[in-house]
Amino acid sequence: MPRISRDASVSWTGSLSRGSGVVSAASSGAFELPVTLGSRIGEPEGKTSPEELLAAAHASCFVTSLAGESARAGGTVERLDVTCTVTMDEVEGKGHQIVASELEATCRVEGLDEDAFARAAEAADEGCPFSALLRASASVRVRAQLESS
Amino acid sequence: MATERRAEVTWQGDLMSGSGTIDRVGSGAFGPLHVSWPARSEEQSGGKTSPEELIAAAHASCFSMALAHGLAQAGTPPERLATAAAVTFVPGTGITKIALEVRGTVPGLEEAGFREAAEGAKADCPVSKALAGVPEITLVVRLEDV
Repeated sequence: MPRISRDASVSWTGSLSRGSGVVSAASSGAFELPVTLGSRIGEPEGKTSPEELLAAAHASCFVTSLAGESARAGGTVERLDVTCTVTMDEVEGKGHQIVASELEATCRVEGLDEDAFARAAEAADEGCPFSALLRASASVRVRAQLESS
Repeated sequence: MATERRAEVTWQGDLMSGSGTIDRVGSGAFGPLHVSWPARSEEQSGGKTSPEELIAAAHASCFSMALAHGLAQAGTPPERLATAAAVTFVPGTGITKIALEVRGTVPGLEEAGFREAAEGAKADCPVSKALAGVPEITLVVRLEDV
């Protein structure tokens, strides 16, 4: 199998509390975004954060996996909507940690009944490499719902 | 206090020929961004982001903040840090490696002290801890002249 490399870069100026950074998608050029500590732990004020980038990574990883598993189960994917919420919290004795990632999927898949779809969603979670990584130290929860088309 | 961050993605069609969009994120900072399996699993990104690139962005930004914090606490706040993260993905296997590289301009600090602070940030930043299961995480450090 090929080894795919994806790069990002950050340029940070100044101290943590008063400084700020710019995070760029170096491989694709798809984004270049400001980050600060204040907007990471307080109100985002239009700025992204490591946790929001993780939420986008996990949602897009899971949705790809779910598209694959739905087809493998014999379904035809019309539309999958996935929302991911990543939570960071201070854990006693361990400092700040990513404690949870919750995925909520609302899906239109032709040709699968609810049981078959539930199995596909479970397989998608198992097959998403990012779910497996996060699960080692955080709670990962998936709620997937099949909508009638 | 816990902080929550949110992202919404839509996918249409099958894995190989379908495609997805990161429609919006809670902060409103980006979106829509397009994603697809070919763009994720082939050498060239074709201008599209991917879960691995987003993980690289999350890790590089988290590491940079932790390092800025560690340096300031040691009495030597940085003037500038330039961090790159490269995430290696092997389809069917998963994420096999993350390579971090940081160049810093830090008045009053020697190379050894910078290296120590960078190793600390690599071990302790929340994203590093979340990604501790990645088989290989490497760090290259360079201190630049003030």
